[in-house]
Amino acid sequence: MKPWTAKRLVWMIAISLLVWVVLATLCLMVGSTGEFGWPTKQAFQIRLEPVLLASIVGAALASAGVVYQAILQNPLADPYLLGVSSGAMLAAYLWQLPWATRFLVTSSGWAFGQQSAAFAGALIAIGIVFALASRRGRLEPITLLLVGVIVNAINGSIFMLLNAIVKDTATPGGPLAFLVGTIQTTGLSTRQEIAAPVVIGIGWLIILFIAGQLNVAMLSESESLSLGVRIHRLRWVALLIASLMTASAVAISGPIGFVGLVCPHLARLFVGNDQRKLLPLATALGAGLLAVADAASRKLAARGGIDTLLPVGVITGLLGGPFFLILLWQNRRRGSVV
Amino acid sequence: MDRMAQLLEASNLSFSYGVRPVLREVGISMSSGEVVALLGPNGSGKTTLLRALLGHLHAAGSINWDRRALSSWTRRELARHVAYLPQTPTFDAGQTVLDVLRLGRAAYWTAFGIESPRDAEVVESNAKLLELTDLLGRSMDELSGGQRQRVFVGRCLVQEPAAMLLDEPSTFLDLRHQVELCDLLRRLSREKQIGVLMASHDLNLAAGYSDRLMLLHDGAIVASGSPSDVLQPELLSRVYGIDIQRIESPGNIPVVIARPQPTP
Repeated sequence: MKPWTAKRLVWMIAISLLVWVVLATLCLMVGSTGEFGWPTKQAFQIRLEPVLLASIVGAALASAGVVYQAILQNPLADPYLLGVSSGAMLAAYLWQLPWATRFLVTSSGWAFGQQSAAFAGALIAIGIVFALASRRGRLEPITLLLVGVIVNAINGSIFMLLNAIVKDTATPGGPLAFLVGTIQTTGLSTRQEIAAPVVIGIGWLIILFIAGQLNVAMLSESESLSLGVRIHRLRWVALLIASLMTASAVAISGPIGFVGLVCPHLARLFVGNDQRKLLPLATALGAGLLAVADAASRKLAARGGIDTLLPVGVITGLLGGPFFLILLWQNRRRGSVV
Repeated sequence: MDRMAQLLEASNLSFSYGVRPVLREVGISMSSGEVVALLGPNGSGKTTLLRALLGHLHAAGSINWDRRALSSWTRRELARHVAYLPQTPTFDAGQTVLDVLRLGRAAYWTAFGIESPRDAEVVESNAKLLELTDLLGRSMDELSGGQRQRVFVGRCLVQEPAAMLLDEPSTFLDLRHQVELCDLLRRLSREKQIGVLMASHDLNLAAGYSDRLMLLHDGAIVASGSPSDVLQPELLSRVYGIDIQRIESPGNIPVVIARPQPTP
């Protein structure tokens, strides 16, 4: 047996980075207009920001997916399906409405403002989902997803209702795009563009730090304890961090679906279910593939003319939804819990 | 008993689920290299006692491992000292034998789950000891019940424990694998001076392999001592609520059997 050394971890991270660099470079070569190829300096400047933003959002969602799947021992867990994303979305949206900022003018100068709101929203959503899905301290996988879906639907409805009442026109890209999830560069403050990567980066490092314990957390509670893991504390810490990362991403992009579900599963095909290897690769795939999906949505939108907007959430939903169904089907055939 | 080798010393353990008492003033001790079997009917408190000794449940009373109060051990420290095999051990779908074994070293990993060369050595030497070397790459799903249980014993052993607590380790095994497992456990206790405490439903198997038996009834210890002391037919009949007969056998280890109950 070859021990998992610090050197191998560094290699794993380096390879993952390379995967992301390749995918991100591909995106830079695709523009909404013009030919495929090495970008001009001007095109590079336009394209870099959405690629980086999509990467940050994708990385956060994919690593949150890794955590949720390990901690909840549920291969179908994902920040979007659990309702965490839509909770964060609604709260982030409330925060940026004109009336909200009027009352909260003192805190509007705080860099983490909208992210904090999104975090609170994420926690409320996950609190509701957990409260309704747990019976005698155990989470029931099917109920968990069912409640998540309903929470999503309610949050979406409240969002649209508010939208109609306040006649909001200020939301960048239009409110509908934020509902589906989109990478928009115009509405973000510089502060937020710095704060989100910092929060997501720190959160990611903490998850990597506890990745070995996440392997143990996939066993039963008594086994985790007797293998030296304080499982209850680990669960809380991991879920809080995953929710914080999700919220930071959602504050930028709205709830983009299925990234957190698909990317960990793709990474598993290559490195198995050892969280120490899975986290770096799943993160890189999340970052790279969301950037690709975003580039694709821009290219597709450009074919429809200059006013057309195709939120990236539409692409991930179209690809990820069927992927979810296939996973569900496979799990049923294998006769496992879900 | 050698006081220096005292591994576990617990007294006055009481625990209840809500208002229902499960353990009543239980005292238990174990030395290094000793095999102790915990007997008793379903619901007599065997599993609860094991979990209390590990601190998974907070029982009233005092528990000392190596003369140190349980509360002063960190989870990591305790995991390097006491291994636990629950009644239904689990693994993640698709895990190989090696994956399962290396998890037993989790309490030795440093930050980021980094393993040392020693972690690899311990896994390899224990795999060899348990004749698992050829199975290391195999998926757990493919193994037989006996092989699987050997892997889980291996996961305990790589913790390099001074004590092993096992909850009915032989329940789902056939006769041959039951005997092989008990042979293995006794050999480990003798060679590595590991204290073995196992809950068991099989009175005769336990009698054959244990230095000491403890009989639990309704959360209290009603008998403790050598197999021939504890396996008293009247006592067993009362505890299990059926008619039990004792047959003396060579080697001074009695055999007990349940007599068919009269049809009403």
